[in-house]
Amino acid sequence: MITKILIVDDSPISRRMLKSCIPKDMGYEFHEAGDGLEGFNQYKALVPDVTFMDLTMPVMDGAASLQEILKFDPLAVVIVSTADVQAKSLANVLDIGAFMVLKKPPTKEGIAEALAKAAEHLR
Amino acid sequence: MTQEKLITEEETDILQEIMNIAFGKAAADLAEIINIFVQLSVPMIALVKAVDLPDYLKHEMKSGQRISIIEQNFWGEFKGSAFLVFQSGAGKELISLLGSDLDSSFEAESVEVLERETLMEVGNILIGACVGKVAELLQDVVTYSPPRVIVENNPNDAIPQSLFDPSYTAIVLKTLFCFNERDVNGLLFLVTSQESIGWLKQALSAFMEQYE
Repeated sequence: MITKILIVDDSPISRRMLKSCIPKDMGYEFHEAGDGLEGFNQYKALVPDVTFMDLTMPVMDGAASLQEILKFDPLAVVIVSTADVQAKSLANVLDIGAFMVLKKPPTKEGIAEALAKAAEHLR
Repeated sequence: MTQEKLITEEETDILQEIMNIAFGKAAADLAEIINIFVQLSVPMIALVKAVDLPDYLKHEMKSGQRISIIEQNFWGEFKGSAFLVFQSGAGKELISLLGSDLDSSFEAESVEVLERETLMEVGNILIGACVGKVAELLQDVVTYSPPRVIVENNPNDAIPQSLFDPSYTAIVLKTLFCFNERDVNGLLFLVTSQESIGWLKQALSAFMEQYE
């Protein structure tokens, strides 16, 4: 079951776009972080059920943050949401252990499908 | 109209995200063609008075170095110029990435032709995909002028002195990138004129409506 969702992205607009695609009637609790390091720190403090992670970010990028999160919690469900849609970038984060990858811009259908898969995985 | 009022902070953020998505798509298109990994950075948006634009671009390119520029104009509701700027030596690195070997059998003249064609090809892919994606996200369609390539020149001679009406302000969308396996860095600037700003503000608002 998903209750806590963490969104890690340096762009406030991008966080808003992603959040708007998440169903409003599910009672999710939302948390946000503006870079990979803040995302990792928030993850440790909150241990969210699902984390959406951007890749190109200042301070600590999404791939490094994903690695740190998985070191801390190997069962973490991290969905990478990125504009860097190069095949090598997507393969790299899946190799590191991302649960799945979504290409930006987000869509309601894509986010709903990703959350359904995450919920199934967490069951 | 003052620069502060030209576009809001929120509109700047939306443009930045759109540029991020568009350049990501352009990098992926290029990576598919020449088997390379493009290291991306967070794009920057700046408002620059048209009269200051040549100096701004020179400053951004660390003037003093020789540079190669691929310039392409685009027209639609979204209208302006794209400048893809590479530092000295990039053209020859890119030639080898596209599968050609530079050996002593090449005459100096044919190397320059090959370098020009390679820069034009890479520029066409990156500029076309990036501008095309920005236009697509903003529900516009653009047409392009043929690219103009300036190889290994001094920045002072490579940058047009008057891009737009000097009384205008340009929106500069800048992204820095490097090709991981090679020592090739570059900048992509999209410069749109004040004429496009009214439309751009409406298009950004319409884009965000789907995320309300």
